[in-house]
Amino acid sequence: MILNTEVLTIFILNILFLFFASIAFYLSIKIYLKWDINSTTTTQYTLEKQSVLTATIIKYIFALKLPLFLFFIFTLDNLSNLITGAMCAAGVVDATPYGTYLFILKILNIYIFGFWLVLHNLDTKDETLKYTKIKFGLFIFIFLFLLAEIILESIMFNAIDISKMVSCCGVIYSSTSTSLISYIFTLSNTTIILIFYGNFILLYIFYILKKQYLFSLFNLFFLIVSIISLIAFFGTYIYELPTHHCPFCYLQRDYYYVGYFIYILLFTGTFNGLLVGFLNTNNKNYFKSSLLFNTLFVLLVSFYPIFYYMKNGVWL
Amino acid sequence: MLKNKINLHLIQFAINSILRQKSKNTFIVIIFIILTFLLSSVFFITNSIKYELNLTVNSLPQILVQKVKAGKSYDIDISMIDDILAIDGVSNASSRVWGYYYFKNLDAYFTIMGLDMYEIQYKNTLSNIINNFDLEKTSQTQTMVVGAGVKRLLEKGYYLGNYFNFIKPNGTIKKMDIIGTFDSSTNLESNDLIIMSKQNARDIFLINENKATDIVVSVKNPEEISTISQKIQTLYPNTKIITNDDIKLSYETIFNYKSGIFLTLFIICLFTFFIIIYDKVSGLTGDEKKEIGILKAIGWTSDDILKEKFYEGFIVSFIAYIIGIIFALVFVYIFQAPLLRDIFEGYSTLKTTFELPFIIDFQTLALVFFLSVPIYIAATIIPSWRVATLEADEVLR
Amino acid sequence: MIKLQNVNKIYTINKNNTITALKNINLEIKQGELIILKGASGSGKSTILSLLAALSKPTTGEVIVDNKKLSKLPDNFAALYRRENIGFIFQKYNLITNLSVKENILLPLIPQNLEDKILEDKLNLVINRFNISHKKDILVRNLSGGEQQRVAIARAMVNDPKIIIADEPTANLDEKLSSDFCNVLKELKKLNKTIIVATHDPIFFNLDFVDKIIDINNGSLS
Repeated sequence: MILNTEVLTIFILNILFLFFASIAFYLSIKIYLKWDINSTTTTQYTLEKQSVLTATIIKYIFALKLPLFLFFIFTLDNLSNLITGAMCAAGVVDATPYGTYLFILKILNIYIFGFWLVLHNLDTKDETLKYTKIKFGLFIFIFLFLLAEIILESIMFNAIDISKMVSCCGVIYSSTSTSLISYIFTLSNTTIILIFYGNFILLYIFYILKKQYLFSLFNLFFLIVSIISLIAFFGTYIYELPTHHCPFCYLQRDYYYVGYFIYILLFTGTFNGLLVGFLNTNNKNYFKSSLLFNTLFVLLVSFYPIFYYMKNGVWL
Repeated sequence: MLKNKINLHLIQFAINSILRQKSKNTFIVIIFIILTFLLSSVFFITNSIKYELNLTVNSLPQILVQKVKAGKSYDIDISMIDDILAIDGVSNASSRVWGYYYFKNLDAYFTIMGLDMYEIQYKNTLSNIINNFDLEKTSQTQTMVVGAGVKRLLEKGYYLGNYFNFIKPNGTIKKMDIIGTFDSSTNLESNDLIIMSKQNARDIFLINENKATDIVVSVKNPEEISTISQKIQTLYPNTKIITNDDIKLSYETIFNYKSGIFLTLFIICLFTFFIIIYDKVSGLTGDEKKEIGILKAIGWTSDDILKEKFYEGFIVSFIAYIIGIIFALVFVYIFQAPLLRDIFEGYSTLKTTFELPFIIDFQTLALVFFLSVPIYIAATIIPSWRVATLEADEVLR
Repeated sequence: MIKLQNVNKIYTINKNNTITALKNINLEIKQGELIILKGASGSGKSTILSLLAALSKPTTGEVIVDNKKLSKLPDNFAALYRRENIGFIFQKYNLITNLSVKENILLPLIPQNLEDKILEDKLNLVINRFNISHKKDILVRNLSGGEQQRVAIARAMVNDPKIIIADEPTANLDEKLSSDFCNVLKELKKLNKTIIVATHDPIFFNLDFVDKIIDINNGSLS
């Protein structure tokens, strides 16, 4: 059990989230069951007021989730100093069987909350409030995801045993690892680069052809492909070490925290791209925004191998 | 996306609103400042003490070998040194003769360290002392060199001359003359330290000639510390081996433990804080309700009012947060945190006179932020919502 | 074009106590008309005004403005409608007394996040027309009744609304100021604004630019 100040802070805020999210959950159920925009009863008017409260709570939780996620990563990084064998956040994530799932769940939740907020914005612009019922019905599921995340987080931190040795990222992210990650290394670098840049170019093509669903779908692919490419290829150029593949180490100060930029650009870009597939109105903004962030991301990660080649005349 | 959302005029109105409700807001701000002040003070103090401690730990021996009998440490055989020196990677191994001397009159412990001139010291401060004072004399005579804190304490105990009478374990007295006073690079060090020749130290503690208190080992490559300590352990299975890292880890754990307890208690504060804020922000006077009614009547939406209330809350809490931190900085680093730091130190009376080094890092600021501002905003969510959804019609009647 | 169709408004104080403020009101007002709602206090005038400004919703019936059903509008949209279309001059002015004249007038514009230049222009337009520019930075609570009313009018006009609603505007004014107000109405009528005034002040009943005088008594129109 870790009574670390950072972990305690996360706990405290999680309790706060849970408290308010439960209120929002209860109200969402009420609204989903009884909402009728055409009714003029007091119940409906009360529901309308309560929908404002629920939306405010969800906005608050989301607004805090973002910096808290960064803080979470920072905390994991710090914990790596306490846990034997861990050199970076990767070791801490691997210290328990829950770590990886928690991580993915957290990112997923940020995407989902983001979607909800976009839906909410659309809803409030419409006089008939036609998305309200769906919106709150959706939140009922989102709440379950949030609950899962908080529970998993508590379990994970509880389960971390500082005396138990963990593998360092050099072992986890190598071809000798026993997990799925080792499959990544069976692909050759050329294949990975082709798929990565190819996917990126496809995004532009779909934008020009205005194919919103394909654009959206390939943004999802791009997210997965990018992470794999980062681990297998680009990471090595950031570290200038052909065996260092860890996706967490470049979040540290030694690399000027470039990891944060890389991931923020990638997530924002793909988030906007995914939105394009779900919404039919105001598509142009999301298209452009998605392309902008994805392009910046590609430029940033491409910079490292190119810079390395220019400096040294050879590839790794 | 966000560009349109920042409405400067609304922010101006919010600031204006805050200033117009001075009495209510002053109370909230004061409570909030106290909260952040307490929190940041504790964090600053622990950070500084940790830093000091780490400095000390780094000057500790890389590997310490102690003989353990019945769970207690015992005098160790000097003959082990030759075997240890034979291990690959060991750059130096020497015996230490030292111990704690309890001065009953002042309820204080002195640390007595036996040093011999020709030996390589494992710590710079000790080498400095050897260079600065003529310890040659100390080996022949009954003389010693003391730390600044010891000198002060002896004066307090009416030892105004430059000497001290040690009482040996067998009851006899050994008089030692003080021939110099020193300061050291870390304050935690110099305060209770007395340096004399190994022979004198052995005499005071009645330690045999071929024994020592423990053995310190230096290693050429710090990465190899754990391997070498394992080798020593295999050689001498009934010794206790403590490495640098072990100590660092145990300090870290103690700090986390103490901070953790503090924070857990602090949660109660937070909870109370939450209730107070909720209550204060909820209480709307007739005038305040009327004002909201007017705003709605002239075309402000509930969302506009919510946004304004949020700006109010954020500005109040953020400014209070900054002020709390500044007060804490002054309290901890200029006034050296009286009262509060004793909770975290827990050393004997002698060790409390060091100065807290100025350490400020982003992480602490973020911690204090997350433990204060979001709580405040959370407390204002429901009251603000109630205000924003007032029926303009009812209020203006 | 404003229409009230079969409007009833019932206030529920508690389970057994209800007040019927309006009974089966049917009313049509054309664009650019100046209507006087004549009736004693408690007759329901204020309730009608409140409905027209989308400040409250009818219990049954419809309020339709330019083919838009106000009663169906959710809270936020009702507020937006008010912001863009209505200039309301309240009986008690309802100014924020701790703010200055300038701040009060600009209040409706704050949420719109307009540029400073535009705000300045809109402010100057109304502040000059209604003659209170010399008191621009003075707190409202330090103004006389007449001056406060001019501020109230300026605020109502700052967004250049299509419809102007005034509730007992001359109740606290002397003869001269009341007559001034009538002149203001005349000007506004020339700008083709739709104006509805609820009052029992006889000064309005003989004005030549009034299109209709509607009597209201105990919640019904005669």
